[in-house]
Amino acid sequence: MSTSRVNWTHLVACLLVAVTAVLLCFGALVTTYEAAMAVPDWPATYGHNMFLFPMAQWLGGPWDLFLEHGHRLLGAVVGLLSLLVAGVVWRTGQRPAVRSLAVAAVLLVVVQGLLGGARVLLDDKTIAKVHACTGPLFFAVAIAIATLTRRAGPGLVAQPRDALLMPPQPRAVAATVGAAALVIAAYVQLVAGAQLRHLDAGIDPLTFRWLIGFHVVGAIVVAALVGLLAWVNGGTASVARRWSWLLAAVVVGQIGLGCAAWVVSWGLPSGLLPESWRLSEAIQARSMTGAAVVTGHVVLGMLILGGAVVLWLVSGGLRDPRTVRSGRVPAVRREGAFA
Amino acid sequence: MSMTHSRIRRLSQLFIVGMALAVSGCGATPPASFRANLVEATKQRLTPDQEKQVATILEAMFGTPDRPCVLPETGLDVAKLRLAAGPVRSDIVGRKNGLYREHCAHCHGITGDGLGPTAAFLNPYPRDYRPGVFKFKSTERADKPTHDDLVRILHNGIPGTSMPSFALLSETQVDALAEYVKYLAMRGETELALMRAFFELDDADQGKLPETREFLVGETLAVVADRWKAAADAAIPVPQMPADIDLAASIAKGRELFYGDKANCVKCHGPTALGDGQANDYDDWNKPIVEWKKELAGTEDRAWASRATGVLAGDALTPRTIPPRNLRHGIYRGGRRPLDLYYRIHAGINGAPMPAAKGTIAPEDIWHIVNYVRSLPYELDGELGVDRPMVARDRF
Repeated sequence: MSTSRVNWTHLVACLLVAVTAVLLCFGALVTTYEAAMAVPDWPATYGHNMFLFPMAQWLGGPWDLFLEHGHRLLGAVVGLLSLLVAGVVWRTGQRPAVRSLAVAAVLLVVVQGLLGGARVLLDDKTIAKVHACTGPLFFAVAIAIATLTRRAGPGLVAQPRDALLMPPQPRAVAATVGAAALVIAAYVQLVAGAQLRHLDAGIDPLTFRWLIGFHVVGAIVVAALVGLLAWVNGGTASVARRWSWLLAAVVVGQIGLGCAAWVVSWGLPSGLLPESWRLSEAIQARSMTGAAVVTGHVVLGMLILGGAVVLWLVSGGLRDPRTVRSGRVPAVRREGAFA
Repeated sequence: MSMTHSRIRRLSQLFIVGMALAVSGCGATPPASFRANLVEATKQRLTPDQEKQVATILEAMFGTPDRPCVLPETGLDVAKLRLAAGPVRSDIVGRKNGLYREHCAHCHGITGDGLGPTAAFLNPYPRDYRPGVFKFKSTERADKPTHDDLVRILHNGIPGTSMPSFALLSETQVDALAEYVKYLAMRGETELALMRAFFELDDADQGKLPETREFLVGETLAVVADRWKAAADAAIPVPQMPADIDLAASIAKGRELFYGDKANCVKCHGPTALGDGQANDYDDWNKPIVEWKKELAGTEDRAWASRATGVLAGDALTPRTIPPRNLRHGIYRGGRRPLDLYYRIHAGINGAPMPAAKGTIAPEDIWHIVNYVRSLPYELDGELGVDRPMVARDRF
């Protein structure tokens, strides 16, 4: 298998990433349109086996039903793909880290499915919040698998073999640590965002103020980390530099979308701006533009997390520093990124 | 175990921390409940038992946010209320329930107290329905709005504020939301009436409200409900604007009235109509808080003052003054139709310092003021040295 010209592991992992991205878009839309309870039962859909629910009713029915049932079907596809990825990873004898991630993906997708079911059966917003936090985590794991299974892997593989034997340079350490911090910050931002998106109308304004403050500070931290990484990786000709700049551009867009999400939801923050800046028209609830902006903000947040994971990996994340410092060459040499 | 494995273990720990953050402070989501009007309860110095009695009576009369119920005396349609109430869910034909929680509760709060999660960020604050006071309507100042008034506001939104237009919802949905707003207002007004009724108890009542139908329905709920029912017949009679009106002359006359002693619009809206006249007043939602804070500062009962301060911190927003409207923006919160401006001038704005011109200004003169106000965003004001429309942004 290792001599095969087609890197099936990587291809299947990429397919998993792509389908998961579509699944996350559906999930974000389900929250935007509050369509989670469009189907009251689970795992069945209005009494039908989920996979046998009439196609015409799904595609031609109400928008909420289309979103929720589509989300379920895509979830099932992602579950099957996760099993396929795990099987291929095992069969091709990937290194332990990749095998662990494949197992994690299967476990996460099962947990995520159960959380989705519990959210519907118990109609519980707390479970919805946890469900919204597990989704991006699964996406991050899928992206890590896809990155680590690249045959001509990124990052270290592009460097001379001697580079592996040299002690890590301070800048390289900063890049790895900074990227790891970015992964954490991007994920925490998604967790905070999930609290805001699944807002419990019973909480008081003070709690909401704290949540917004936390989310804004988180955005500043993410932007600062991305700026730092762009600077640290700027002088190199590595894959990390390209990912850093790409992430910087996406984060700028994300901040813009975050501000736009506020405006389409509640208008301009009139307490902070001159009175003449007030919108002359009332904002439109449930408009396509509003839904696209708010959903786009969530999806872009997940892409930032995915990009941060890639950046971390190409910057030396999951590399064993003891191995590098001791001068030993990493053990697994099959199809992995470090082959 | 290799370092790689230990890193994956650390990642798993990070996931657990993330999950902990996600559910921080929460168990399973508790069922939605109405929040008591603690500001009024504290003002009236109610005991916990008295607060509990009010809550019990209100639940018997109005049900819960998930399952509202009403007595026939309210004249409310339970089917519409059930469409608007409860958690958000939809059925196989796309009929959505829980409309209020989907569209309104994050600002107006589950109770309709204007204390939803987002409230502190919005300017003006979201409306607190509980006093039953509404600004933009086609009825006299002290009257309730008609059902159509509420539907119109929901449909058009309120430009210049965070209140969106729900024009993309179906008529049935907007109708249900308007009904639910009335329900929350009636519930809030009944709660206020009950809390204030303790003040009138005599010794024989032993600090408890009489739980008789005569008192609860006849003397309390029916009084509130009848005012809402009366709104349908309380529309302001509006004379047609003369079809052959000379608009330039009408605007000139309106300007004269605007600056004159009779209408005296200039007092608040300012000599430039930029809303820069008197600007230190409060509306009827903020004023009681300001006054109560002053009272608390002067009271000698420090224990009660301390309790009241705590209540204000959790159950009231920081009071804000209400600036007079800048009439050169061309943004009319209550509607841009000439008829809407006529209503505002004729009846004033309930809950706001804007007074009623009814009885002071003749109806045809109100039309002149309407025409002048509508011309303001486009007026060339040579006196101010401006040879182009003096829009509001010239101030900045």
